[in-house]
Amino acid sequence: MSRTGCVWCPDWPVIAARRHADNIGNDELRSRPLIVRERVGSRDVVRCASADARAVGVTRGMRRREAEARCPEAVCIDADEANEARTFEVVARAIEEFTPRVVLERPGRCEFPTRGPSRYFGGDDALAAKIRDGVAAVLGPDGDDVRIGIADGVFVARLAARRSVVVPAGGSAEYVAPWPVSVLDDDDLASLLVRLGLPTLGAVAALAPDAVLARFGSEGRRIHELARGIDPGPSVLIAPPPDLVERTELDPPAERVDIAAFAAKELADRLLERLAERGLACTRVLVEAETEHGERLTRCWRNARSELGDALTAGVLAERVRWQLDAWINTGETTAGITGLALIPDEVVPADGRQLGFWGGDQVAHQRADRALARVQGILGYDAVTTAVVQGGRTAGEQVRFVPWGEPREVELPLAVGSEVAAWPGALPPPFPARVFDPPVPAELVDVGGNAIAVNGRGEQPRPPTHVRCRALPAGGGAVRAWAGPWPYDVRWWDVRARRRGARWQVVVNNVACVVVVEGGRAAVEAIYD
Amino acid sequence: MVAALSPSLPRRDEHARAQLRAAATRAAPAVLAGDRLLAVAGPIGHLLPAGGIRRGSTVALDGPPGAGSTTVALLLAAATTSVGEWVAVVDPAGTLGARAAAEVGVALERCAIVRPVAPDRWATVVGALIDGVSLVAAVVPPGLRPGDARRLTARARERATVLVALGPWPVEASLRLHAQGRDWSGLVVGGGLLAPSEIDVRVEGKGVRALAQARAQAG
Repeated sequence: MSRTGCVWCPDWPVIAARRHADNIGNDELRSRPLIVRERVGSRDVVRCASADARAVGVTRGMRRREAEARCPEAVCIDADEANEARTFEVVARAIEEFTPRVVLERPGRCEFPTRGPSRYFGGDDALAAKIRDGVAAVLGPDGDDVRIGIADGVFVARLAARRSVVVPAGGSAEYVAPWPVSVLDDDDLASLLVRLGLPTLGAVAALAPDAVLARFGSEGRRIHELARGIDPGPSVLIAPPPDLVERTELDPPAERVDIAAFAAKELADRLLERLAERGLACTRVLVEAETEHGERLTRCWRNARSELGDALTAGVLAERVRWQLDAWINTGETTAGITGLALIPDEVVPADGRQLGFWGGDQVAHQRADRALARVQGILGYDAVTTAVVQGGRTAGEQVRFVPWGEPREVELPLAVGSEVAAWPGALPPPFPARVFDPPVPAELVDVGGNAIAVNGRGEQPRPPTHVRCRALPAGGGAVRAWAGPWPYDVRWWDVRARRRGARWQVVVNNVACVVVVEGGRAAVEAIYD
Repeated sequence: MVAALSPSLPRRDEHARAQLRAAATRAAPAVLAGDRLLAVAGPIGHLLPAGGIRRGSTVALDGPPGAGSTTVALLLAAATTSVGEWVAVVDPAGTLGARAAAEVGVALERCAIVRPVAPDRWATVVGALIDGVSLVAAVVPPGLRPGDARRLTARARERATVLVALGPWPVEASLRLHAQGRDWSGLVVGGGLLAPSEIDVRVEGKGVRALAQARAQAG
């Protein structure tokens, strides 16, 4: 187990956003509390909040709406991970002054082996102080809260960085014992352990190893080891086969991030595919770039939770490489276009998640589909390839959310009171229309006298509809054979500007069933049962 | 010694070979037509030759708006996802009602919806999708060149992917389905609600009984 140092800049998304704002001359973010939000599935949650926002109760993972209610004066901005990575590049470079082997895990946190540099600079404490000064110097006013921990192994070093301490060699077990199990970064497991009466890592460590192995399997054994402060890294390390280095030449040289990143994406796919052919996966990778002027830049990235053996997936790897290229190109480290890119697997473990599914879950078919769909995304754009997720809503259009291919599909469970599933007021029951027009196609809904149908404030129509005319209907519409409605709706009545009122009918015209909506005196066909 | 043995060796060999050949014929892994069939359940399946669609075939599906052609395409997609395979729906105008797809049994997590698609990219996109999934249901843009259509038919055959072309398909297809309308019930003048209805579908193609016509329950 090697001595490892960990540098952690708390609230990095906030620092990165403020530094970016400084660069473009926007000083509003400095003077007011700041909330950085991100989308997790369908939820809009707080990714990070500045210290003054946290002081009034804004916490990470809180819904944005609640956070804004608690801290109304805060500025709320979207997370920009590329900017976070770009800004962190200066920190990584400052640490490289002291040690050449910096491993980035995510923007805001990186690790490095300390054996050599500690000996050179006169001990762990001296090295930590030097690096802290170095990082604080490049960060200026944002560098007040840079935390450095040094301990045995990555996991303990990361915990040490939270308190900015140096854990002496062999003191890991004692240091990790009081930490709660939530630091294992696995919410399901943490909640289970707490329910089992094991709130701290010390309590887990006190269990008999074979009992943990029997209950949780090999992952449990690793957790038990981590709880005892033993961090052997991924269970089985294999020397990376030297012929697996993926290289590509860029001609003409790439001066823009997106061009280089596009090449890098292919490289990442190819690297993981070739590793997979040998039953391997990669937890740490070296990104290397060469420019026209002969500059050679390298940076090492590792996957989060790689101490538990989680390997990089193609998407995660491509994202890391993209961040790195962005950081190099946009912080002026490259003085010319990039002519060559290489991905070098640095830490390789046996792949364990590639077993073919036993029932149904056919991995091969999935991968084939995945490749084809990714290709179509390359042709049409990321958002053009989607899968649909059913969600709550009034209209057929609102009841579906289209999630870009490759993003997590978070299925929303319907609101249930007891065993009753709560119905959406105003939603039409099944069958559902197979063609939904968004925006609705303008139409005419008229009565016998040819007057447009309108609905009064009480949701009543004075005369029944007899004709519908619309270009979306065959033969342009015609006489109404059967109809039901109107079903009035009043959406967002609390917001004067966003309020929408109208009514809906189900209508059968010429044997074609459709949904007609009248809003603000204008009729439109919203959907056809095709 | 060797010379004495050698005449007997080929004979024994031949005998063994004959036995082996007989055994091999019995156990030969013949690819049955049924294995290459995508079985379609329900009334639509009864209309189709052998109860399903042959993999690699092109199905042209048409009908006026509201006659049920989209639902028939979704039923074919549902048959594909129900055996754990993948489908893609190319929806250039972006009007597919995914709720209806879920209703007829399409597993939405294995159904990629591609939209919007410009007419000049349509053939490229459908071609790429044919490589990756088991069934591609694509709304045909107006003015599709017969050359492109023929190329896609050939590619689908080669990849054993079913291509369902919704709309005017300019070249020959293995199977033609015409949605001819639905008979709505449940809705009266001034009241009621639409009830699930049947779709009139006419099938043309090889192996189809002359002018097979039947009603398929949908929804």
